[in-house]
Amino acid sequence: MRKTITVILLIISVLVPFMAFDVLPVIGDPQSAPNTHVSDYYIENAIEECNSPNMVTAVIVDYRAFDTMFETTVMFLAGLSVVIILANKPKRRIPAHSSLRRMKDAGGRPIYKTVNKDVMISVIEPVILIYAIYVLFHGEVSLGGGFQAGALIGMTYLLDIMVVKRDRPIFDIPKARAAAIAGFGPLIYALTGIVTILGGGLYLEYNKIPLPIHHAELHSIGITAVEIGVTIGVAGTIITILNALMERISFDDDND
Amino acid sequence: MTLILQAVLLLGLIGITVAIIFGKDLMISVVIYCAFSFLTMLLYNIMGAPDVAFTEAVIGVISTVFFIIILRSIDRKTK
Repeated sequence: MRKTITVILLIISVLVPFMAFDVLPVIGDPQSAPNTHVSDYYIENAIEECNSPNMVTAVIVDYRAFDTMFETTVMFLAGLSVVIILANKPKRRIPAHSSLRRMKDAGGRPIYKTVNKDVMISVIEPVILIYAIYVLFHGEVSLGGGFQAGALIGMTYLLDIMVVKRDRPIFDIPKARAAAIAGFGPLIYALTGIVTILGGGLYLEYNKIPLPIHHAELHSIGITAVEIGVTIGVAGTIITILNALMERISFDDDND
Repeated sequence: MTLILQAVLLLGLIGITVAIIFGKDLMISVVIYCAFSFLTMLLYNIMGAPDVAFTEAVIGVISTVFFIIILRSIDRKTK
């Protein structure tokens, strides 16, 4: 019964946008309402003003820098609220369901049936980490940026915790410290704005950073600093949520 | 051509959603949900938003693993 209601709601939620298709503008239509006001300005001036070939990055962390700052803060608060909800340590950790127990060999050691854990740790994790750094520092030129880099770093920790034994992970980040790391991200972002104020500009006005170089390079430096903040915030938030989840579930190979 | 591809992907999204709702095994539902986020990623790519597509790809993987971690603590079969 509940599933039928879900399907009916799904059909309605699909049909309503389809009925509105006539009203919506074509993708990329220069005459549509959103494209007639600020888009022209961004397209004409973004590269010259921000020294960032990727216009999406220029809009996100330069023209709309204030917006992104509070987005990062909201994400940090979301991670904190997950921790607050899951913080009360249960008297007994819920054991994993029998259908998900790991197979064991004759000696009682768990068998990892999916990916060899040496391959995971020595090959896949370093590649993901290097890619995360590349995405972070190359984000203003090509795809990516702070958010994606942070998610990739969080994913490395996640793979690590899924593959290696729980009490001896490679990146040992306790719960409280992970939340503190997540808080550092918005702090770095906000301090970048303070630095521009000290240089005599407005909040997050990157070309007032007190360094003796060309103003376009100052924009580039400002964007990179802000994206480092976003990266740390996102990675810390993902690790915080993951730690809070792992705290409540016991695995049968914990005591091996 | 792009329009046909978009239509196929959108229909695929609807089919995947129905499959998720009617799945008997929650683990299978979670894996199909990963496919949902993959199709969404392709859609974003076609619509010319590769930045969003990248984010969607990474977050799709992370949320799938979160679901799997949660699934370790509950019964896998739906009632």
